[in-house]
Amino acid sequence: MAQPQVPVTVLTGYLGAGKTTLLNRILSEQHGKKYAVIVNEFGELGVDNDLVVNADEEVFEMNNGCICCTVRGDLIRIIEGLMKRKDKFDGILVETTGLADPGPVAQTFFTDDEVKAKTRLDAIVTVVDAKHFLGQLEQGDEAEEQVAFADVILLNKTDLVSEDELKKVEGKINSINRYAHIFRTQKSQIELSAILDKGAFDLKRILEFEPDFLHHGHEHDHEEEVKSLSLTADRPVDPDRFQKWMGALLQLRGPDIFRSKGILAIDGAPRRYVYQGVHMMMDSDWGTPWKEGEKRFSKLVFIGRNLDGENLQRGFNDCLK
Amino acid sequence: MKLDLSNPAWHQTLPPGRAVAGDAPVAACAFSKDGSIAAFALGDGRVRLLPGDINAGETPAAEPLHGGVVLALVGDPAGDGFVSGGDDGRLLRIATDGTASEIVNQKGKWFEHVAGHRATGAVAASAGKTAFVAKGGEVKEFGPHESTVAGLDFSKDGSRIACAHYGGVTVWSIGQVTLPPRKFVWRGSHVALKWSTDGKFIATGTQENDIHVWRMAQATDMRMQGYPAKVKSLSWTADARFLYTSAQPVFTAWPFSGKGPEGKPPLQFGEEGAGLISVVAAHPAAEFVAGGYDSGELQLGDIKTRRSVVLKMADGSAITGLAWSPDGYKLAVGNEAGTLLVLDLRR
Repeated sequence: MAQPQVPVTVLTGYLGAGKTTLLNRILSEQHGKKYAVIVNEFGELGVDNDLVVNADEEVFEMNNGCICCTVRGDLIRIIEGLMKRKDKFDGILVETTGLADPGPVAQTFFTDDEVKAKTRLDAIVTVVDAKHFLGQLEQGDEAEEQVAFADVILLNKTDLVSEDELKKVEGKINSINRYAHIFRTQKSQIELSAILDKGAFDLKRILEFEPDFLHHGHEHDHEEEVKSLSLTADRPVDPDRFQKWMGALLQLRGPDIFRSKGILAIDGAPRRYVYQGVHMMMDSDWGTPWKEGEKRFSKLVFIGRNLDGENLQRGFNDCLK
Repeated sequence: MKLDLSNPAWHQTLPPGRAVAGDAPVAACAFSKDGSIAAFALGDGRVRLLPGDINAGETPAAEPLHGGVVLALVGDPAGDGFVSGGDDGRLLRIATDGTASEIVNQKGKWFEHVAGHRATGAVAASAGKTAFVAKGGEVKEFGPHESTVAGLDFSKDGSRIACAHYGGVTVWSIGQVTLPPRKFVWRGSHVALKWSTDGKFIATGTQENDIHVWRMAQATDMRMQGYPAKVKSLSWTADARFLYTSAQPVFTAWPFSGKGPEGKPPLQFGEEGAGLISVVAAHPAAEFVAGGYDSGELQLGDIKTRRSVVLKMADGSAITGLAWSPDGYKLAVGNEAGTLLVLDLRR
């Protein structure tokens, strides 16, 4: 029997950014919805609620030997267990610890068939501490990577910084990941509908949100930095050549590419071809049909480290008819 | 045994039995030691008890014993009732009247796996990375393992338990003398475990859609690949000649008699289901087997004659629990839609 897939929101953010505050609100507020919350530190949440599940961030590598194919085994078990409940959930939230790489969590939803059948990854939400974000960037890769993975960013604690500082932080976030929605918040106050069940990972809706600036050779190009870029094409894409190129690219560069998304006008196909990836795992589907007379185009988005835009565009151009 | 598992009439009508609406998904089912009660672990915290005698009066609906889902259930090896584990972190001993007493409480963890050993009366259960063995009022801890225990079982004589986890299996001696645990290593995540009924092999199902089997005596191991899904259900025949595995559209049994299964294909028989076998249970005494499908069918087979019969359950919901009564005449079946069924297969 086909049951609707339960949307899963992955919540990341540096220590102290406000994840726990947000989770407490989701668990205690009257919103008429039922969410299961998978946390790492049971004690941290002030509420004693049987919808809170303790996880251990148990990461293991799949046996194909690829370092990118690490998944969270505890999540697989917990989601299977939650699905045995009589009362179904409106959504599941997965909190990652402040220093964890969100990759394995996201990859779990691409890898395990049972998890895929019963749940869908809805969005990766990253809580950013407006006051400390720039400092955290200096302390390691975590803060930067969490922003790179995000579909939605809560720029939190905006009351603790000036408008100028906020603009600076937003500029930095944009330079890492210009494809995430940014919401300014205080004390993690946000309409839950803005972050939950958004379908940000929904392939059919992918790239509906288009930043109004296109990006080519941005002002600074330090290759070590995480950045986002997009490739576009007006000519139709040859599916075989694209598959070969993308497959090889993710195989080779998977560790550096945090997210990739795309919408393609495949030669001769009546519908949009859409895909969504985390590191080297990806999922694709046919999206909405092209309308009569509509200008067909393709667009790819990469968020990652050491991205060479010109090289990528050249590779993509070779896939065009 | 006088069972007629390939009775063609059962294609049309189920064997004599009792069907009850459980009102919650079934996570597991079990019979009590004497076979007089069938129990069903439900997704709302209840353990529903039904008389093994399909003509006896029905027992009243039970109250929830666990806070959330009852994740694991076995017949109590030391009593007339059952032992259950739940996602409320409690391991409970359930009496025949449905009342419960707590054996262990691990708040914040889930009791996901429970096994019983009839001859010694010991119960083994796991919550998180730790296994617990309860025997004669005493509870001992084993672990923590490197990751959450994802399957456990007793050795044939009940002197050891095996726990599956990332990277392989750990075997603990649970007797009075404390011995260092023995490790059987194979990379990856192991998600199910069954010790062979003759004690010679330990089989696991892995996250990578294969099964792994260790030969205890030589500590050699083998790997069987090619399943389309994770093998979550393993069942050894009573004589340990075959290991049945789920995740195939027909009965799939690896031969372990003689030189073992290396280089041999598994024995496959039965009708192809619409989906895959989700739960498989070898008969406790004879050459029969029961398989429940994720597409809702129930199939009974006889490995000797390779004959089988498919029973169409009314609602087509995935079968999630199967248990034979100890005497092998009754079969308890539960599914995701919450149908509880006790079949009487006596000819």
